[in-house]
Amino acid sequence: MDVQGHQMTENKTIPGLFKRNPPIAGEAEAIELAKAGDAEAFSRLYALHKRRVYTLCLRMLGNVSEAEDMTQEAFLHLYRKIGSFRGESAFSTWLHRLTVNLVLMHLRKKGLQLVSLEETINPSEEDAPKRDFGSRDPQLAGSVDRVTLERAVASLPPGYRMVFVLHDIEGYEHNEIAVMLECSTGNSKSQLHKARLRLRELLRQPEPVLDASLKEAAI
Amino acid sequence: MTFNKNHNLIDPLGSMSCAEFQQQLPDLFAAGDNCIAENSPLHQHLETCVNCSALVNDLQYIAEQAALLLQPVEEEPSDSVWEKIQESIDHERTREGALNGEHS
Repeated sequence: MDVQGHQMTENKTIPGLFKRNPPIAGEAEAIELAKAGDAEAFSRLYALHKRRVYTLCLRMLGNVSEAEDMTQEAFLHLYRKIGSFRGESAFSTWLHRLTVNLVLMHLRKKGLQLVSLEETINPSEEDAPKRDFGSRDPQLAGSVDRVTLERAVASLPPGYRMVFVLHDIEGYEHNEIAVMLECSTGNSKSQLHKARLRLRELLRQPEPVLDASLKEAAI
Repeated sequence: MTFNKNHNLIDPLGSMSCAEFQQQLPDLFAAGDNCIAENSPLHQHLETCVNCSALVNDLQYIAEQAALLLQPVEEEPSDSVWEKIQESIDHERTREGALNGEHS
């Protein structure tokens, strides 16, 4: 996949992301200097964007070591390609898309099937919502904190996690995710739904059971 | 309790079973908030089925919490990441310099 190709077009802005990516003071100057090879300016860009890039990698990959490697890759790629940034979208939006594409390429190289078509056509019993008509479990509302949710997301199977992170956290639309993951929009919707169902299942467990489930998923 | 021929529970007050309702959820969530309210059989099922209503509330809550709790939080990479980036850039510059020297 060409990271600079059709998925990196600058004129295609993402409303949600653009809104969250206002220009940063001093960024425009640092970009121009970095384009001219100024090492100090490039380190300023790293300082400005390292958290956003690393957090995205961490959520998409679910582990620190791989996330750090991909952060390194993203900034090296940025160093090589910054000359092609024309300022038609926010720099952070452009860098964000570049990072997403690199992570997806990395996962494909590892042979990971990001979206299983078969699973969508024949949903397994395991993925279907549990229908427990005999008893009513308490609803989730008000009971979930950030750390628990973060851990539960990290424990999702890679395909589910990817769509959940891209849609519910990063704000991409299903049609954009479908292009990125090379699947249908129906597939993207289905994977997202299954991801939320799995999270619901995890988050409704009592604390000790949840801890055990998350540990098991991490292994 | 009544089941249809596919062994799905039938809502006694509506014509839609829980399975039929839940099968449509991925599209309904993607279509937005008003989609269920605008569709009478779906709305009727949701109004009368405690389990599906709880399911929809929970899934909405998870999506909302993800945007609310996770979106603004950013983690810090370790210092070694920048050190490795610098090393790689220095290495690339040295290599480019050597190649340019060869060609001049």
